[in-house]
Amino acid sequence: MALFNHLTTALFDAILAPLGHGRPWFDLVLWPVLGGITALLVIKAVSNQAGITRAKGRIQVHLLEVVLFRDDLRTVFPATAKALAYNLLYLAYNIVPMLVMIVPMTTILVQLVSHYAYAPLRVGDSVTMVVELDDAVGGVAAADVTLDLPDGVVLEAPPVRTAEGMVAWRLSAQTAGDHLLRVHAGASVEDKVLSVGGPARKVSVLRTKGWEAFLYPSEAVPASGSPIASISILNRRDAPLGPFPAGEAGILAWFFGASLLAGFLLKDRFGVTI
Amino acid sequence: MRHNLLLGALVTMAGGCSCGRVSLDQPGVFVLGVDGMDPVILRRLIDEGKAPNLAALAQAGSFEELGTSNPPQSPVAWSNFVTGMDPGGHGVYDFLHRDPETYLPISSATAEVNDPGTFVKVGGYYLPVIAGDDILNNRSGTPWWDVLYSAGVDVEVYRIPGNYPVPSSDAKTLAGMGTVDMRGGYGVYTWYTDKVPVATPGHDLKGDVQLVTVEDFDLDGIGDTVKGTLKGPPDLFHLAPGALPGESDYLTASVTVSIDAAAPVAIIKVGDAQAVVAQGEWTAWMPVTFDALPAGAMALAGTVRFYAKELRPGFKLYASPVNFAADAPPQAISTPDDFATELADALEGPYYTQGMPEETNALKDGTFNDDDYLSQVGLVQNDASAMLDVSLARFSRGDATFFYLSDIDLQCHMLWRHGDPKHPAEAPHPAFEADSASKHALDIERFYRHVDGLVGRVRARLPPDTLLVVMSDHGFQPYTRQVHLNTWLRNHGWLTMNAGKSAGMLALGDVDWSKTRAYALGFNAVYFNVIGREGQGIVATEALAGLRTQLAAELLAFTDPKSGRKPILRVDSGLDIYHGNRLTEAPDLVVGYDRDYGHSDESTLGEITELELEDNTSRWSGNHLMAPEVVPGVLLTSRPLRTSGNDLTDVTATLYAWYGQTLPPELRGQPFLTP
Repeated sequence: MALFNHLTTALFDAILAPLGHGRPWFDLVLWPVLGGITALLVIKAVSNQAGITRAKGRIQVHLLEVVLFRDDLRTVFPATAKALAYNLLYLAYNIVPMLVMIVPMTTILVQLVSHYAYAPLRVGDSVTMVVELDDAVGGVAAADVTLDLPDGVVLEAPPVRTAEGMVAWRLSAQTAGDHLLRVHAGASVEDKVLSVGGPARKVSVLRTKGWEAFLYPSEAVPASGSPIASISILNRRDAPLGPFPAGEAGILAWFFGASLLAGFLLKDRFGVTI
Repeated sequence: MRHNLLLGALVTMAGGCSCGRVSLDQPGVFVLGVDGMDPVILRRLIDEGKAPNLAALAQAGSFEELGTSNPPQSPVAWSNFVTGMDPGGHGVYDFLHRDPETYLPISSATAEVNDPGTFVKVGGYYLPVIAGDDILNNRSGTPWWDVLYSAGVDVEVYRIPGNYPVPSSDAKTLAGMGTVDMRGGYGVYTWYTDKVPVATPGHDLKGDVQLVTVEDFDLDGIGDTVKGTLKGPPDLFHLAPGALPGESDYLTASVTVSIDAAAPVAIIKVGDAQAVVAQGEWTAWMPVTFDALPAGAMALAGTVRFYAKELRPGFKLYASPVNFAADAPPQAISTPDDFATELADALEGPYYTQGMPEETNALKDGTFNDDDYLSQVGLVQNDASAMLDVSLARFSRGDATFFYLSDIDLQCHMLWRHGDPKHPAEAPHPAFEADSASKHALDIERFYRHVDGLVGRVRARLPPDTLLVVMSDHGFQPYTRQVHLNTWLRNHGWLTMNAGKSAGMLALGDVDWSKTRAYALGFNAVYFNVIGREGQGIVATEALAGLRTQLAAELLAFTDPKSGRKPILRVDSGLDIYHGNRLTEAPDLVVGYDRDYGHSDESTLGEITELELEDNTSRWSGNHLMAPEVVPGVLLTSRPLRTSGNDLTDVTATLYAWYGQTLPPELRGQPFLTP
């Protein structure tokens, strides 16, 4: 996971935001279209196009049967059952291309979210940062976890160490910048970036070694032997994206909607049946 | 102008309005409604140089008393201002009305709902099949903002009292006083504690007290975790149609508090939100959702903030009433619906949507002390102040804006006991608390000075020719003696208890209605037990006139044995003082108390107590539910007035006249200024 995140992040950091993070429209249009085209190419290459065409045809035939003979239940029921069966067959034909596409498409989506979902916090905002300890590693108690603050970030309240092995701090950033917060857990040290003020840019809200690391690749995954499982910033601000829906869910909805639309509009040009 | 001027032009061309069109090049109006600002206190502060901005406003224009409504209750007074009518026209006679059939108190804010709709029960859920009556605002009449909007004026109305449920309007309005919390009440806080608070004798706790245990999850000998629940809206899909929710009929969210072993600091989790809070601190607003249907099919969004009163050694945590999430309110609190969201965007976060958010209940309960209360009021002030800035930023020449400030009213209610700002030489209030009085004696004055600062900001930012009006709905007086009016009626033969009863409730079978001629419900209202109107009426309609005169005379003769004073200054017949289409709902008599006196809470709700009069030892120590002449409001304008002796409806008439609108016959007031 760490290597995958490292490579994909390096790649997308190089190619995303060619106009800067203040102009998200370019990537938010380009990448769903590329995603849609990629999906068409994958479907064409790995799916049973003839089978899909046949299944769609059979579904249409049986739906027509239902419409034409709607007064004859002895015809309607079997026709409906057959339409459903061919629907399942149609879905089955799409499983392979979906499996092929799921990783690249999700990777693109995750990278778009990393770059455009969040805005830096405002100068003076209160921020809660939470460190969760890794039970599997052990050896370090919540009492052994401390935090070094850089200039420009101050502690607003003493840390809270919970019985479940979580440590939380309430901080306030007094100056703009990408501040590096250093967490000590026993002998281990992990850093977390806190983005405050300044222009639109890539903002990391979670650094984790769990499965969520795939969804939040902006910062390196903590080492497998680190007693720290995750470091998260709880206060998150959606970056304004103009006419596009904002936030994680907004980008997700936009990406899938726009990819689907692109795929439908271009399928004939690519000679693909979907 | 904030909205499209084309709209005004189109309306004019269509000829759909008989009223005059507004000149597109004329000064606007900004009305600052300061609930409870008293002319005597303000005059003193101006004279002492403590309200320089209000003094400058008075100097440039005018400052005089503003006649209030009868009775001088905020919902009544603001309805007078909103419609230009008296209660006979708008139908809001008191905070509380009564159901004449059952003698039960009912809210004056909503119209009666006769048909709850038709439901089918599926899998334990009551699902609506046929819609019932909508819950509508009880206020009749046309709000001035609708008239101005129709005339093409860009109108914005912020936190207007009595506008919930929100009547439809094309103008931008945000409901204020009377807007409920997510439970559907006027604000129930939650108090998580490891020790049950001791209620003042005779006072029922208003908060939802949850007795919790501080568990020691990590077995280190130090308690670290508290679990509780937060009640949200009633679980309507599981409630029988029309049924009132019981204690367990609310949707809930879980609350977990993890306390640090070394320091008095904790992390609070409610739903998916978490916040770190040290002892004595408030959290920011925390989002919380309540699932009315499974799988998030209907998630109702609210916001809550916590106050860590004590984390160690005891545990006392306050949760505010759950407010509607301003960015996605599950009920309409504004017109258009998205105006509330627009404001949340402008403020970059949630704000108090509850109508009267100052936490007077916790202070009355004793779970808050004055310092806790004032810290909470500070949060409300910050909200209002930020929203005022938004309203000013949106104001352009020619616009009409109303902005409501609650800074003074509730603080006068709660803090008067520390020192009477109006009669400093008076004996201490019965609720005087010596240990905190010296610290808080000047709090009310500080709130006036805060408002003065806001007025300064408003004056500095408005276009120079804008008419600025600073008004209040009523003034204030001390409230030192409680009158149990139903008890007085019992003692004087107007109300008869059932055999064996000397105390009880009107609606709970304690009263012998076959021998009862009159009863009190609400803060100033007395009703006769009329045949054909009341459920068990015995008074003939023909006898009413004589009985009104007789009872009024007896009430005016009523003397307080402790002071020798007469508690009641005036008694009016509803038929004499009100005008309009809703006269049949008017109280038969409206009781106007002298300063120091007022209806007890018990009598207001229809309780008959043992005592007729007693000292008011409650922290609710200042009041205005008296005779109107005892508690006039204030009127300050940025231009000299043409007439004096104005009342609330004259402000309405002035708004009409300022924009050239014809005064409708039902409007009671007359303009005191024109452009």
